[in-house]
Amino acid sequence: MEMEKTGAGVAVLSAKEAFEKLEKVGEGTYGKVYRAREKATGKIVALKKTRLHEDQEGVPPTTLREVSILRMLSRDPHVVRLMDVKQGQNKEGKTVLYLVFEYMDTDLKKFIRSFRQTGQSIPPQTIKSLMYQLCKGIAFCHGHGILHRDLKPHNLLMDRKTMMLKIADLGLARAFTVPIKKYTHEILTLWYRAPEVLLGATHYSMAVDIWSVGCIFAELVTKQALFAGDSELQQLLHIFRLLGTPNEEVWPGVSKLKDWHEYPQWNPKSLSTAVPGLDELGLDLLSQMLEYEPSKRISAKKAMEHAYFNDLDKGHL
Amino acid sequence: MDFDLENPLGNFHDLPCDAVPSLFLIESDHIPPPNYCQSLKASDFDISVRRDVVSLISQLSCTFDPVLPYLAINYLDRFLANQGILQPKPWANKLLAVSCFSLAAKMLKTEYSATDVQVLMNHGDGGAIFETQTIQRMEGIVLGALQWRMRSITPFSFIPFFVNLFRLKDPALRQVLKDRASEIILKSQREIKVLEFKPSTVAASALLYASHELFPFQYPCFLRAISDCSYINKETVVQCYNVIQDIAREEYESVLNINSTSDTPVNVLDEHFLSLESEKTNGTNVVVTQEQDFKRRKTTDYGNNRRVPFSHFHQC
Repeated sequence: MEMEKTGAGVAVLSAKEAFEKLEKVGEGTYGKVYRAREKATGKIVALKKTRLHEDQEGVPPTTLREVSILRMLSRDPHVVRLMDVKQGQNKEGKTVLYLVFEYMDTDLKKFIRSFRQTGQSIPPQTIKSLMYQLCKGIAFCHGHGILHRDLKPHNLLMDRKTMMLKIADLGLARAFTVPIKKYTHEILTLWYRAPEVLLGATHYSMAVDIWSVGCIFAELVTKQALFAGDSELQQLLHIFRLLGTPNEEVWPGVSKLKDWHEYPQWNPKSLSTAVPGLDELGLDLLSQMLEYEPSKRISAKKAMEHAYFNDLDKGHL
Repeated sequence: MDFDLENPLGNFHDLPCDAVPSLFLIESDHIPPPNYCQSLKASDFDISVRRDVVSLISQLSCTFDPVLPYLAINYLDRFLANQGILQPKPWANKLLAVSCFSLAAKMLKTEYSATDVQVLMNHGDGGAIFETQTIQRMEGIVLGALQWRMRSITPFSFIPFFVNLFRLKDPALRQVLKDRASEIILKSQREIKVLEFKPSTVAASALLYASHELFPFQYPCFLRAISDCSYINKETVVQCYNVIQDIAREEYESVLNINSTSDTPVNVLDEHFLSLESEKTNGTNVVVTQEQDFKRRKTTDYGNNRRVPFSHFHQC
């Protein structure tokens, strides 16, 4: 009775009562993703449902930690917002957790593909705005000691009308990514992976996300992935062909990384050969994002201050 | 995603400098609201309920890292601020203590024995045995009240940052300083007066207090480093330092009673802190300098004597 009395202060509709599922839009390792409408407000949300593997421990530690991180990060306008967390029970009486996210109607991957199909370029000011928002969201995550480590166009959500961009797939939310079908030739997670990761570095730093941001930047300009390897070795070779094979002079410590081998020796080429159509300031920013030595790579916050963004109207971002 | 809850500024040298302000900006989101402190003070009963649950959590946590009980007590305070004080039933206090402890252990990925928890909770109150399901339901209630914002920024989050400012080169000395500051932080959390201060302020004050005990000759440098930190309000640190000193004095007095030692050296700490401030205001003069040399010697001697009985007293 005391328990109920205490609980009365936390009056919560069950997820089933609060939301009307409209359609299933994804499925992942841990559960399903629905587009849904909140009955009380009419608002469209993304409802991500996961069954907890309870055993004796109730909410698992991993789930608890990661939901807490999402709740903390959701205050930034450029991180997809986790609006609520609801516990419910499924037909078998098992506890399920519903993560209620704001709904975004597209992602950067689809956005780029739509321009590729029409043969048009993405307008330069649009690229600049999207890049600024991406740097801002990543700066926010890094400022909280959070690395993303899997940045790619597919998990950068967008609203077509407002051209707002939001980072998604942090932690547990990542489990809801639509799985890569076996017949696809894309190995998405390799294309945006930093060279130190590919070479087996065990200590990640925030620079791994900046590398990914740089790859996405180039892809916005050319509408093609900058480094499209289909294995870890091929990914490295793609990088080395453009930026030159790294050595101890340009990247102290590189030859001591776990997966370092002898590689063909290429000289660096100009970035403008790979990213035609990007102006000098953009190329300068891109080159700082694609520095080999992680500690020399530009930070997200410094990137926001780069002259490339000077003529961008940042008032609404 | 990489995430170190206990040490978000731990790789301080790897963080871009501009990342540091974030924790200082958001830390206030992770403490109970100001009126919580006032409403506790207004009621002796509420204070005693909090004290009981804090005591239970401390019993559960005495063999774990100090971050664990600190986090659990933070959840308790935030829960009470949201829900109000529970009805005076001992079993409800125990259930709340166990739930906050369990949630903190999960956040820190700390393994613990559910059997040990049950044994501790049953001690002195034979009837209460909590089923796993009951604890899980209570955890759900706490999670809902806290809106799943379980990553609390605690004073422990700021210790590495401030210790880096102190420029102590010897890793062993840094660890000693951190450990002592951690003890002080954990003890001070039991007093509601400390709840009024932000975690960074508590961390700075605890480190200053610990550095004064352990490294009195370097204390002025440490004080200057803290004072120069733009994220810290110096006046607030002084207030918090004094609160912490009062708490630590109570600790010493209980130890001193056991050992029948004069309590004069405790008073030296007050004078020492104030005299440093006075020195800054008035500029250096020979008489003050000589006096301080004398006082520091006394403090050092006292500190040496204090180590052994304190360690013995503090065995869990």
